[in-house]
Amino acid sequence: MVKVFVIGLDSAPPELLFNEFIDDLPNIKKLIEKSIYGAMKSCIPAITIPAWMVMATGKTPGELGLYGFRHRKGNSYRDIWIAHSLMVKEKAVWDYLGERGYKSVVLGVPPSYPPKKINGWMVGCFITPDSSTNYTYPAELKSEIERVVGDYIFDVVFRKENRDEVKEKIWEMTEKRFELIRYLIETKDWDYFEFVEIGLDRIHHAFWKYFDENHHLHEPNSPYRNVIPDYYKLLDKEIGKTLKLLDEDTAVMIVSDHGIKRMKGCFAINQWLIDEGLLKAEYEKGKFTRFEQLNVDWSETVAWAWGGYYARIFLNVKGREPNGVIRLSEYDRVRDEVAEMIKSIRGPNGEKWDTKVFYPEEIYPTAKGDKPDMMVYFDDLYWRSAGTLGWETNYLLENDTGPDDAVHSEYGVFALHTPDMEESKAVECTIYDFAPTVLSLFGLRDIAGMLRGRVLFDGS
Amino acid sequence: MAEGEEITISIPADIYKKIEERIKDTEFNSVSEYVTYVLREVLASLEEEEAEEVFSEEEEEKVKERLRALGYLD
Repeated sequence: MVKVFVIGLDSAPPELLFNEFIDDLPNIKKLIEKSIYGAMKSCIPAITIPAWMVMATGKTPGELGLYGFRHRKGNSYRDIWIAHSLMVKEKAVWDYLGERGYKSVVLGVPPSYPPKKINGWMVGCFITPDSSTNYTYPAELKSEIERVVGDYIFDVVFRKENRDEVKEKIWEMTEKRFELIRYLIETKDWDYFEFVEIGLDRIHHAFWKYFDENHHLHEPNSPYRNVIPDYYKLLDKEIGKTLKLLDEDTAVMIVSDHGIKRMKGCFAINQWLIDEGLLKAEYEKGKFTRFEQLNVDWSETVAWAWGGYYARIFLNVKGREPNGVIRLSEYDRVRDEVAEMIKSIRGPNGEKWDTKVFYPEEIYPTAKGDKPDMMVYFDDLYWRSAGTLGWETNYLLENDTGPDDAVHSEYGVFALHTPDMEESKAVECTIYDFAPTVLSLFGLRDIAGMLRGRVLFDGS
Repeated sequence: MAEGEEITISIPADIYKKIEERIKDTEFNSVSEYVTYVLREVLASLEEEEAEEVFSEEEEEKVKERLRALGYLD
């Protein structure tokens, strides 16, 4: 009887987990010494939502119709909807397994609020509004959780100046989560178990500059310089305690949705669009303005943008947007022109940027739902995109909306240990290989074969 | 239940007759095909409606505020 236990570490980068920190992480080291493992290329966009569901379904963001945490409602200028579990219509590995009678525990895999009915147990992720809601399937599981860990913590908002409080709260959240994980391991008759610890991502974002000497705001000898390595040690300790509870015949995986690296700065994309005459609006320098608050003259606007770890660019198309100006026959030409302008943006000191522009319908087999016209990685994601305005310059050295020192990188981690592995083997893989590999471990090779990814281990 | 597997269900005979009439000279080859099509459409629209009602107004504000504070909605 096969069992698979998946440890999801949000934003774990191969550089730290497999190299720099590995000698201080005895439990993870022991595991990967008998694993196939390597860097795992994320999807585009390399963002928590949609990446975890891309991994679980084996489908592209375009097929899922999920391009981030928020989406436009229809073709409106300002109305948005927030991603949640019911917007994922494709089957996840636990759905395929459930159809064959296998039971799953799925904990904190974004987006998993509201909790979906599965053959097993589901606990909501960090988009759960708060612990007063019904965040479990079945509903009775919630009272069990409260009995085991008290008030369950979904997430910690890290963009505050009080770093001690942030640190303390993330430690508490992670310890509670692992306590719950161990309880579920022992009390549920699961075949597949997957959880995501979001704390690692929050720790990276909140404490990166104290740790990374190459960060432009690095503070040497800060009392926080060891917070990131210490958190990895906490994870290793908790993982070690947890692995002890698993049967010997359990396959164990460690995965992440994307990696992480130092942020070089934020680029004020909407200010730039105004400078270039593509967005018609006025703002006051020195007055922090969100895009939603901006008074836009849509009749003279070609493009506008959303910020985040990557940028989404929208074009104002006649017949599509309420006050569209670009004729459909000119759409391709205008989009290419704007893309070229974006790609030629240079850094604050005139340095060349490695900026990538993606067209959704070109990079996915199909691009469903409320997609942007373009997705942009400024300087290979080293520069965040700021949608806000009012800045003295378009290049912000600090994040525009509260302290944050890190950005995403395209490569996360993958490791798979099965009981009969005696040595380690390097593997090159992408996020699309996860679902077929898991399904294949359970013998569901027919379904695995229908997905785009590769089976990384076929049991032989 | 495996994907692609089919199950027989019963519907009143008069509805069956009405559908038979309706699908004459259409792309539908059988009453089953038509019924499956209609049910799929109905379920999809129900799912869409349900999907929109996930967060109450207050909850949605709370989630947005948090996502903003986490850097996802800049």
